[in-house]
Amino acid sequence: MQTLNIRIGGQAGQGLVSVGTILLRAAVQEGWHLFAHQDYESRIRGGHNFFQLRLADRPVATWEDELDILVALDETTITRELGELKGDGVVIYDPDVLGDAAKDLVQKPNCIGLPFARIAEELGQPKIMANAVAAGAVWALLSEDITMLQETLALMFADKGEAVVAGNKKVAAAGFARVRETMGQRPRPPKPAQPGPRLVLRGNDALPLGALAAGVKFMSAYPMTPSTGVTEFIAERGRQAKVIMEQAEDEIAAINMAIGASFAGVRAMTATSGGGFALMTEALSLAGSAEIPVVVINAMRPGPSTGLPTRTEQGDLRYAVAMSFGDFPRAVLSPGDVEEAFYLMAHAFNLAEEYQMPVVVLSDQHLADSYTTVPPFDLSRIEIRRGKVVAGEQAGSDYLRYRFTEDGISPRLYPGFGEGLVVAAGDEHGEDGHLIEDAQMRRRMMEKRMAKQRLVEEQALAPVLCGAEDPELMLIGFGSTKGAIAEAVEILNSRGTKAQGVHLPQVFPLPKGLGELLKKPAQKLIVEGNYTGQLEELIASRFAWKPDGSIRRYDGRPLNAKYILDRLPGGECRG
Amino acid sequence: MVKRFEVCKETAWCPGCGNFGIVRALATALDGLGLKPSEVLFVSGIGQAGKLPHYIRGNVLNTLHGRTLPTATGAKLANGDLTVIAVGGDGDGYAEGGNHFLHAIRRNVNITYIVHDNQVFGLTKGQASPRSDRGMITGTTPLGVYNEPFNPLATAITLNASFVARSYAGDQEHLARTIQAAIRHQGFALVDVLQPCVTFNKINTYQYFRERVYDLDQEEGYDRTDRQAAWARSWEWGDRIPIGIFYQVQRPTLDDHYGDILARPLVKQELDKGVVEELLEEFRIG
Repeated sequence: MQTLNIRIGGQAGQGLVSVGTILLRAAVQEGWHLFAHQDYESRIRGGHNFFQLRLADRPVATWEDELDILVALDETTITRELGELKGDGVVIYDPDVLGDAAKDLVQKPNCIGLPFARIAEELGQPKIMANAVAAGAVWALLSEDITMLQETLALMFADKGEAVVAGNKKVAAAGFARVRETMGQRPRPPKPAQPGPRLVLRGNDALPLGALAAGVKFMSAYPMTPSTGVTEFIAERGRQAKVIMEQAEDEIAAINMAIGASFAGVRAMTATSGGGFALMTEALSLAGSAEIPVVVINAMRPGPSTGLPTRTEQGDLRYAVAMSFGDFPRAVLSPGDVEEAFYLMAHAFNLAEEYQMPVVVLSDQHLADSYTTVPPFDLSRIEIRRGKVVAGEQAGSDYLRYRFTEDGISPRLYPGFGEGLVVAAGDEHGEDGHLIEDAQMRRRMMEKRMAKQRLVEEQALAPVLCGAEDPELMLIGFGSTKGAIAEAVEILNSRGTKAQGVHLPQVFPLPKGLGELLKKPAQKLIVEGNYTGQLEELIASRFAWKPDGSIRRYDGRPLNAKYILDRLPGGECRG
Repeated sequence: MVKRFEVCKETAWCPGCGNFGIVRALATALDGLGLKPSEVLFVSGIGQAGKLPHYIRGNVLNTLHGRTLPTATGAKLANGDLTVIAVGGDGDGYAEGGNHFLHAIRRNVNITYIVHDNQVFGLTKGQASPRSDRGMITGTTPLGVYNEPFNPLATAITLNASFVARSYAGDQEHLARTIQAAIRHQGFALVDVLQPCVTFNKINTYQYFRERVYDLDQEEGYDRTDRQAAWARSWEWGDRIPIGIFYQVQRPTLDDHYGDILARPLVKQELDKGVVEELLEEFRIG
């Protein structure tokens, strides 16, 4: 596999995301597969952020450390990140923003100074078009032909009018020409022979798209990074699909509104991050007791407390599984990439409704904000299963919301859809939903609810495997480490180590099949993004098992293959 | 009048509790409106008031302490055909759920909110509530209540709630009439009900209220669309305590705001996969 890594660094508000997005769209249009991740601070202006693209001739699902092209919109990009450039890497910087320290650092071959804003202004265009100048400059290192970049600009700025489109094209051509003059011919990164149709999207696009495909009708949420993208997506695109997204006064209101809507008979969800999830936990217990389906996305960021609001971690796993007080059935899903995010989101609604319980979908900042090219989603793969529901005449006037059944699942009636009355309560209740104190009824109700947990376990999603089938080394992870583990496994196999990756798309209940996998005679390592080894603890307690080692990351940055390989026993540094 | 919402005889309330008056008046009001129990959803939280839905016929969602209003809001947005009545006490609504109270008013969602205002915590045995009079000695306030009592009516009027009323559990006829007006009102309707707690509140008793309440609805010249006048009356709490509809205005409800999305109740809409296909196109390249 041949890849090319481009980083655009700058201050928040300088337009680095615009440059990145233009390049991302043009590169996909040109035929590359890519993975792009974002590193940003918890501020709206200033600081130092970057947008990083990895182009490849086949699908990629993780990032690399070493850069081929570094675009500096600010001085910090040079002073802090020049060391991450490969020996023959190229720097494109804006000389107008560099101080003396950085000026010395760029006095070497392959460093091209381009005053982005000045070039735009000299061409009679507004300063903001500096972004297109920078994109044009980078494009000269990627392609012989500027056509695809210009088409992309035309598409992206179409709603701003012809003058804006023409201006952007003009300044991009200037940036393109300046780099062509300076650098001449450079080797181009290879492209796939027949890329075919692809989607390019982030976890924060795939999750709400999955929810909409599953027929979500109601969402309520309180903004919290890195989940806000999901909320805004449903608010904006949901109007087309006739979905209500109500911004709540707090996360407590958010989940309780969703529970109210779900009780009334629509698919309902909320999205949040650690602190907001904490506020939702009482209502998750209510959903468990009253047997009301609800789907919650927890997009993890590093805690404890407000932690690192814009960065990534997998530190809420234990908390999401524990979920709340009291015993009640639940499931926790952990998609590893945008494709899985789409399909698992739809699955989450099926699980929630078939078993009438809360389901948490664990995302994290890395999955939420990273773009990946994937094959178009297949809507025919999404089956909507609303579980046992009765309506109208069927329900009868003797309807009992919590009627005892063999499998513990009582048919739902949506209130108002029949003569029967629907009585639901979080307090312990009898079959009719009215409150009870009786010991025997309490025991039967608890057993009825928990019977559902066994069914959920029997259907738990199987581990997703990659690499060697008879491994000597197994790397086990969940969530957004999927791509990093898969790439590490591929590299190990190419170097002669028989390695297998085990990705868990469902972390609770764990699939029984995982127990069988753990019996393989291989060295087994758990790879996860938290300090205490929460996945390790979960697997260890479920299967009475100990791993041979662990690789953990808790500095707020995403894992990648190199991070894993460096920390393998015998690797460059021990984890 | 057919009594469809007949009230259950067995309750967990103390004999003489003001709640009996409220549940009977509520049943009378609903019967009077010609509604069927299957068309009505009662949403309640926790507290003695939270048990009310279990003692009347209708659909019920008995949820968490303080979370009555967001839950009721979600249910109403999902199925606007339901008559949604949120019920709770002053602890539930003004302490634990205080934030939701403010925002439910701002949303003006088309539900009725009945607050059993007994100025004390009943279910946990007599601690101070946000509505307790200053100086009231309770298990948690041995020095007497220090905090200024919460004024739900003044708060609601300040936030331009579209229907603000107070009634009294000891006046069935007034209470039933007020509840009917609240249900007929399009928008968020608050009915704060003075409710004597015979066990734990020895100050605000039946006799206390009987001697003080007077009906604003009967007062000639009182203009319930006059916000300043309503606000002034909401502070009247002494020898005379007003009951009745303090303030009522029409403004668009949250349901109106969602307009074409709610042209049919959400719960009666089918998924349109074509829309999802269109949305996916936006992310498709090549």
